[in-house]
Amino acid sequence: MSAIPTIAEAAKLIAARKLSPVELTRACLDRVRRLDRALHAFVLVTEERALSDARAAEAAIMAGQPAGPLCGIPIGLKDIVDTKDIATTCQSRILRDNVPDADAACAMKLARAGTVLIGKTTTHEFADGGPSFDLPWPPARNPWNTAHFTAGSSSGTGAGVAAGLILGGIGTDTGGSIRGPAALCGIAGIKPTYGLVSRAGVAPAAFTLDHIGPMAWTAEDCALMLQALAGHDPHDPASASWPVPDYTAQLGAGIKGMRIGVIHHFHEVDHKVSEGTQRGIDAAVTTLRELGAAVSEVMLSPLAEWHACGTLISLTERAAAYEEWARTRLGDFSARVQQRLLLGAMVSGVDYVQAVRRRRELREELRAAMAKLDAVLTAVQPNEAPKIDQVPEWDVGHKPSFTMPFNVAGYPAISVCSGFGEGGLPVAIQLVGKPFQEATVLRIADAFEKATAFRVGRPVLASELATAQ
Amino acid sequence: MAEIDDATLDYLLARAGLAATDAQKTGLKAAYAHVAAMADRVRKPRGRVAEPALTYGFGEDDLG
Repeated sequence: MSAIPTIAEAAKLIAARKLSPVELTRACLDRVRRLDRALHAFVLVTEERALSDARAAEAAIMAGQPAGPLCGIPIGLKDIVDTKDIATTCQSRILRDNVPDADAACAMKLARAGTVLIGKTTTHEFADGGPSFDLPWPPARNPWNTAHFTAGSSSGTGAGVAAGLILGGIGTDTGGSIRGPAALCGIAGIKPTYGLVSRAGVAPAAFTLDHIGPMAWTAEDCALMLQALAGHDPHDPASASWPVPDYTAQLGAGIKGMRIGVIHHFHEVDHKVSEGTQRGIDAAVTTLRELGAAVSEVMLSPLAEWHACGTLISLTERAAAYEEWARTRLGDFSARVQQRLLLGAMVSGVDYVQAVRRRRELREELRAAMAKLDAVLTAVQPNEAPKIDQVPEWDVGHKPSFTMPFNVAGYPAISVCSGFGEGGLPVAIQLVGKPFQEATVLRIADAFEKATAFRVGRPVLASELATAQ
Repeated sequence: MAEIDDATLDYLLARAGLAATDAQKTGLKAAYAHVAAMADRVRKPRGRVAEPALTYGFGEDDLG
């Protein structure tokens, strides 16, 4: 194989028996062998399982009984996702020898869809803090420049997809952990509506902010993965009973007449983004207008209001979830996670409840602002990827996050690449829809991707390898 | 910016059952101002009866 296909491309070739899942899997494993020494996208590569999955997928195809469009597609699972009989460390010394006896719901659903598990992808410890250099596993590196950060915490999935080690993967998102790595690694990643994808069997970060979702090269690929992941699960107390639509049905239908609000003040005033990021947003707005969308301005409470609400909830819920280990094994956590757990002790019970009361007000504000809109748009990250050794510590409220507002509200939000900024590093836009309107968000993102040229080139690291084969 | 004194910091850590190093206490004291600012931000003149998000709404499943 000389090129890295998208999931949609590979699915068509596999269904037509023009691409063997075993051949595709071997190509991914070969890229892992060549590139992952530099990227550290994987905590564990499950080669035997991958080849077994691929052979099963191939047999299903040859028997005329494929499990669906994900049959034979190589994927990765973030290492906070439980996998039966396969180590799930959460990238923590505390769970270094943890081997679950059951799959997480999302792992099970992707397996049933016929995917091929290439391995467990690098995460920040328990999906928090990072990058950490004081753990038994190194942090993932950005394929566009390995001296730079991937963002986190779904760092390995972001790096692995961008470099073509996997075609898609699972991320989790408590304050931006799908969308951040998607943005800095130049791929697509959607945080679905709270409750759409089961969290059962996935290590918690903050219960009421945690979301599970797909990361892939394109929005279309995210739609294909979300189709397999969405749906009610009685094992997740926050799981929503909501009908699952066809997420690909509206792709390609265009966005003429759709109404998109731009939250200019978030990225131009409240937390001013880099020139490259702003250029990407401005160009994206122009493209969306040219595609026929009606673009208007939206005003919300300042970004710091949303950030404060989400961060107080996050610090407290994390401190509660990990209280026992924090009390007895604090020194076994990475320095960055220790910092977060200690900060949790600074938040009072009353602070937490005031934050949850504020959350209701902010969510109502977003609902009202979006009443006559299909989506809103803002930044994902303030800058291109910083150098991996220049990420500040004790960083909780210094500069507000662009992604946290939509964890606070629980609304679906996708990051898609909107170009390249300083150093040739990717920049991105964030598109946010109404609850359970993932199909609309994916439709806009897909139209944007297909109207631009940002899906053509892979990181040089991966492209060079592909050419050499 | 809000500050926290050593005694209060020690009290909060002890109440949480956490043992911080001196270096961590220095970091915490610097970061505390941001936590305090966030705690101020979420306090609004909303009166007594404004409910938090995620209060229970009992449905048919609860009746069985």
